[in-house]
Amino acid sequence: MFLNILKAKNLKKNYQSGASVVKALNDISVSVKKGEFLMIIGKNGSGKSTFLHQLALLDKPDFGEIYIENQKVTNLAEKEKSKLRLNKLGYIFQEYALITELSVLENVMLPAMMIGTTKNAKKRAKQLLKKIGLINKSNRLPSQLSGGEQQKVAIARSLINSPKIIFADEPTANLDTNASKEILNIFKNLNQKDNITIIMVTHEMDELKYASRKIKLSDGKLI
Amino acid sequence: MKSEARLPFYLTMQYLRRGRKWTLFLTLLMLTIAFINLIFVPALFNGIVEGTNNQIINSMTGNIFITPKEGSEYINQKKETIASLKKIQGVVGTSAQTNIQGQLKYNKISGTWQVLAINPEEEATVTNISQKMFAGKYLDKNDTNQIIIGKQIAGGEDVDENAFSFKNAQIGDKVILNGNGINKEFIIKGIFQTKFISSDERAFITEKAFNDFFPSLENKTNTIILKTNNNVSEDEIISKIEKEKINVQSYSWKEVAGTMKSVSESFTSINIIMGFTAILIAAVTVFIVIYVDIVNKRKQIGILRAIGIKTYIIIFSYVILAAVYSVIGVLLGSLIFQFILVPYFQAYPFVLPICDATLILKWTDFIARAEAMMWVSVFSGLIPSIVVTKANMLDEILGR
Repeated sequence: MFLNILKAKNLKKNYQSGASVVKALNDISVSVKKGEFLMIIGKNGSGKSTFLHQLALLDKPDFGEIYIENQKVTNLAEKEKSKLRLNKLGYIFQEYALITELSVLENVMLPAMMIGTTKNAKKRAKQLLKKIGLINKSNRLPSQLSGGEQQKVAIARSLINSPKIIFADEPTANLDTNASKEILNIFKNLNQKDNITIIMVTHEMDELKYASRKIKLSDGKLI
Repeated sequence: MKSEARLPFYLTMQYLRRGRKWTLFLTLLMLTIAFINLIFVPALFNGIVEGTNNQIINSMTGNIFITPKEGSEYINQKKETIASLKKIQGVVGTSAQTNIQGQLKYNKISGTWQVLAINPEEEATVTNISQKMFAGKYLDKNDTNQIIIGKQIAGGEDVDENAFSFKNAQIGDKVILNGNGINKEFIIKGIFQTKFISSDERAFITEKAFNDFFPSLENKTNTIILKTNNNVSEDEIISKIEKEKINVQSYSWKEVAGTMKSVSESFTSINIIMGFTAILIAAVTVFIVIYVDIVNKRKQIGILRAIGIKTYIIIFSYVILAAVYSVIGVLLGSLIFQFILVPYFQAYPFVLPICDATLILKWTDFIARAEAMMWVSVFSGLIPSIVVTKANMLDEILGR
């Protein structure tokens, strides 16, 4: 059993902006325990999304190390990272990031088709859609759903391969209050009932009550 | 069984089923047009070459052109030789053409043209002169003072070489043929126009009329032309003639086509160059169309990568998509070409000075171009999808 499911040490990330260099992440270290619901907060441009992208292996830091279940993942080949993202990590983006040409059911079952049979993928996808209350819309296309429903589909997709950690980048930013509450309650249940570690970026202060821990970033530094 | 292997095909199918219909329609339209353009050029040039070749065969030389053996001025025993030639399997028509060395005179204009003595019925089994009468009538074998002349000899405003013609001679007008020191008056019975200048610069009289000039040459001739069955090659017939030991010299029409052969060869060369250019144009068109289509799916590719879909699956799905585009493009292009363009140009051929050309697409040209289209499409799918899957994943997802 790992005490820390995720650990980041001295992460640095710089961006070139015209002639100057922006220090998006400036020597950030953090440890996340298994089963934690960690929220990352900060003002726009504080580096919170950049930080999440590094932890989620969607981007590579200029300096520093990341460990997932004690395995150093920073220097893994893209193929290995892809495998890790598929099997252990789940993603939820602000813009839902669903495949427009696939139906709700197909979007959810897609990652499972990489590691199992179509039959099993479909069965598991249906279970998840039932759980989030969208089973009756499984044949619809993403464009035929509301924002909240699309985000629920993204959550179901992130859960299909039973991930250890879910990364969510401002998942409620485009949703109304009710839909936001629904999404956050789903996260709370996943965290508390299924013991899934959740790392989420938000700028809504009233969402912090759902978290078990929060960290704040300002100008690329942890404060 | 894991679904991973089927995933690229699955993704491609869904892109096609649920992608934007207009984008799909326009992409397929572009590929269809590109393929039609690719096959149109060789088909047109083949049509011109084939039309020109047919003109040579049908209006002048037949498939096989027979002359006396080297050193002889005439083919002796004309009737017996023709009878022997007719027995050869694959020969469907024979005609002896005896060339008269002489001058034609019309009013005050005189000139040297090729005047050939023929059996009109036999000639009709080889050439199409009898069907190409522009004015008047074709010869009858009992005609003795009638002549038919080509449009280039008769002249007229629409004639290419009017300056060197009779300048609008008409049916019923009289011409004088001078040969073997004898002047004989003929009445113009017909004017023929094959549209093949060399053919239209000739005149024909009957063998019966010829005997008045050269009674001693009754069973002699200096040329026999043969029409052969389409299924048998000229070379096969020539070797059969040699095997039968018939005392003549045989040539395929290609060997006696003269300048027309080089015209035909020039068209073939132009066809190769134009075909290459058409392939380049199609390649660039197909590449741009598919490249734009895939680059527009950057976000989608980024999402697939983020959720752990293997790169090769993403690339392969777009390669299959590009291949499907090209198969449909080739299929639609072929159908439009075969069932709309070919019949249209058969009904309304390209009217050229030497022949009326239709579209003739050879299987070899079709397959080579369809293959080229497929390869170009596969590369057009492969290159951008490799580029996109190697780019920054976040930039793709966030549309930066």
